[in-house]
Amino acid sequence: MKTIAVIFGGRSAEHDVSIVTALASIIKPLELTKKYRVEAVYIAKNGAWYWDDRLKDIALFASGKIRQLVDKTSPASIQFDGGLTLIKSGSGLTGRKQQLKIDIVFPAMHGTYGEDGALMGLLDMAGVAYVGCGVSAAAIAMDKVLAKQLASANNIPVSNFLAFSKTELTDQLSTAVKAITNGLEFPLFVKPSHLGSSIGISRVSNELELRNGLEVAVHYDSSVIVEEAVGNLIEVTLPIMGNDQPIPALLEQPMTLPDDFFDFQTKYMQGGKKGKGKASAKGAQGYSKIPADLPKDVYAQAEAVGIQVYKALGCSGISRVDMLIDSVTKQVFFNEVNPLPGGLYAHNWAQAGISGVNLVQQLIGYAEERHAARQALTTTFSTNYLQQF
Amino acid sequence: MQNLTSLYNLKFPTVLVYMLQATEYQIGPYVAWVNRTHNFNSVIQRRTLDRTTAVRLLLWGIRLGIGLQVTSGLVLIYLGQWQHLTGGVYFGLAVIVAYPLIWTYAAVLPLLIGRQLIVVPREQRLVAESAKIFAAHRGAKIAIAGSYGKTTMKELLATVLAEGKKIAASPANKNVATSHAHYARKLAGDEDVLIVEYGEGAPGDVAHLARLTQPTHAIITGLAPAHLDKYKTLEAAGRDIFSVADNLPADRVYVNHQSPAVDPFVKPGWRLFDTRQALGWRVEKLQTGLDGTSFVLKKGTKKLPLRSGLVGRHQVSYLALAATLALHLGLSEKQVQAGIAKTKPFEHRMQPYSLSGAWIIDDTYNGNLEGIRAGTQLLKDLEAERKIYVTPGLVDQGEATERVHIEVGELIAAAQPDLVVLMQNSVTSFIQRGLSKGKFAGRVQVETVPLEFYTNLNHFVAAGDLVVMQNDWTDNYA
Repeated sequence: MKTIAVIFGGRSAEHDVSIVTALASIIKPLELTKKYRVEAVYIAKNGAWYWDDRLKDIALFASGKIRQLVDKTSPASIQFDGGLTLIKSGSGLTGRKQQLKIDIVFPAMHGTYGEDGALMGLLDMAGVAYVGCGVSAAAIAMDKVLAKQLASANNIPVSNFLAFSKTELTDQLSTAVKAITNGLEFPLFVKPSHLGSSIGISRVSNELELRNGLEVAVHYDSSVIVEEAVGNLIEVTLPIMGNDQPIPALLEQPMTLPDDFFDFQTKYMQGGKKGKGKASAKGAQGYSKIPADLPKDVYAQAEAVGIQVYKALGCSGISRVDMLIDSVTKQVFFNEVNPLPGGLYAHNWAQAGISGVNLVQQLIGYAEERHAARQALTTTFSTNYLQQF
Repeated sequence: MQNLTSLYNLKFPTVLVYMLQATEYQIGPYVAWVNRTHNFNSVIQRRTLDRTTAVRLLLWGIRLGIGLQVTSGLVLIYLGQWQHLTGGVYFGLAVIVAYPLIWTYAAVLPLLIGRQLIVVPREQRLVAESAKIFAAHRGAKIAIAGSYGKTTMKELLATVLAEGKKIAASPANKNVATSHAHYARKLAGDEDVLIVEYGEGAPGDVAHLARLTQPTHAIITGLAPAHLDKYKTLEAAGRDIFSVADNLPADRVYVNHQSPAVDPFVKPGWRLFDTRQALGWRVEKLQTGLDGTSFVLKKGTKKLPLRSGLVGRHQVSYLALAATLALHLGLSEKQVQAGIAKTKPFEHRMQPYSLSGAWIIDDTYNGNLEGIRAGTQLLKDLEAERKIYVTPGLVDQGEATERVHIEVGELIAAAQPDLVVLMQNSVTSFIQRGLSKGKFAGRVQVETVPLEFYTNLNHFVAAGDLVVMQNDWTDNYA
């Protein structure tokens, strides 16, 4: 039986979303397969790692008791030993140190230090198989500026945009605002470059709102992207999985008004509904149309753009591509890529005919396939370079 | 070791009371359950203890008794060790160690005493009063008996007849003399029709209910192996069920002729009905799907198109009888159409719902072979990319357990599902033998923790899946 470590939490604004993704959409279905030994590895907000079976219980987090567990438990450590081994100090009467070799890692991290390639780099160093995008794809996907530049270079349509560093916005805000008002047309979206889950995003319609939006975005990130809003907007998203031969799920259409968008509050706290609705167990997924209600040709075009983006960025395992459609011109624009969709977008895969249990197994399969392919590559070779010293 | 320590767990008294409650305070099933339980820590799975006043009293009574027994044991040990009481230590230890055994059986004493002194006399009085109420009632009294389909038939008939008559039907699936006594007390007396469901559990049950309610009409919904732990044979069950018709005119007895098991009991002149005809009306243009069932009743040149929300071809026999009997009792065709249109699936009885894009047919209240036949036929009839069949098997099959479950396996195999999920228990191997006999070529998955499967079903299914779930074993059968 292979041992899978599901890593979640982390030093990210999306720490809490990550917990739900890990516990509901990854650990539970993995355990239901009865094919794997599943280990929960939680990264606290301060960056300490914890490895404990009790971390599989959502009630621990919902009740706030996680703080007590973290206070009373020694953090776990990892060992690179031609693979990855988890180590934690012992508890109970014997107090023996526990260690466990991990066969496959299933990252369930959203946002910084997890979804952005940082964790993937660590796992590559360890030489362990892991689910999802590799370092470069994850890093590019989580950088909205780089992703758009790369998409443009591959002739994938994107809306007009400008990018600024934190220094540019703090030291020369007026110059930046002038560049934006001269180069782009309102309404605009102001976004932190590296954050997901719609955190820090503003939709602005004039210069005053633009200044406020930039101030908010720069509070979250070291760089900010400002892009033109697409008119007659239909927003769609497409979960995709696979390595060299990506498989799309179904195009999903969030049921927002044309000029509306999901901020974090709407997406996760109000069940995807605008207004003062109660939180829904379904989250954003509770308020979307699957498959998207689009003319056949537009649907096919959006699906093709999604796959094109997935390949262009070098994604593997799983990702979700967000796109914007002008319903009048029928033009599809690439918006952004999410290398680890919240909850794996299991609700969408289920509608596409892939159950939660099958989804995690397929993802494990892709991880092993990619790892095997990498292992087959030659990374060292013998020289007589050292003999000259 | 775990089994042994479970006897001394602090929750042991709660487990005993839970077992009593789950077996409806019937001493026989409770003792049988206790005797086959190894680990008392794993008894409570499906439900929690409903802490009624009686339960709380019982619980505290057992705890108090255990406390006294342990204290007595300690006193004996003390006397043996320090006051030189001969054998005090050993006897004291024995008293302490024996408390689970003693209180497992002592727990039923208050029930025995309470039942004999309070419950039984009160029930006898209520039942005697209700017999007078039924005897005096002027309305038509339709009795519904059978091994399966009783509640469905009763609800259908009540729904349709309510379009033109004042009716009163016995509530939910409450179908014993005591529940009928409560039902009788609530009757206004001016109802046109009473519909009374007859439960059967042991020889003589149906005959007793017939004497109590004095029916003017009887519907027998079918005969299949059920409650054979008490009836022993299907023939004995049939004799009891068909006794409902003993004192009725032949043309007021309606028998579902779907299962051949009824044949030996049918008498000349009785009205047979099935999915092809009822009371002289032919069933035509039958169509069934997940959204319901439609058909046309035809008699001579008359045509009556009907549509119901019920799912499954087998439901048509009940629907056809409900419609034609309603016509016979004076309802107009329009009223019958409106009534049938209002019929919809009952909870956990061939109830379709969507989950994670899949279609689930929840028939977990089903508990007999004919129901399995209907469910597997439905699975065969409906289109799906992947078909899944889920069951733990049937309970109370007595000596027929092995034969019935081999047949269950064959029926499943004939429906050709892609995946069969069986809940691990004493009948699993019989179903597997039936699957082999039926040359089943799909995958079989045996679940050791049924509750985990049921509560996480959403993780197992996806769009394109059709899942038929039949029967569910409660803790006392596991």
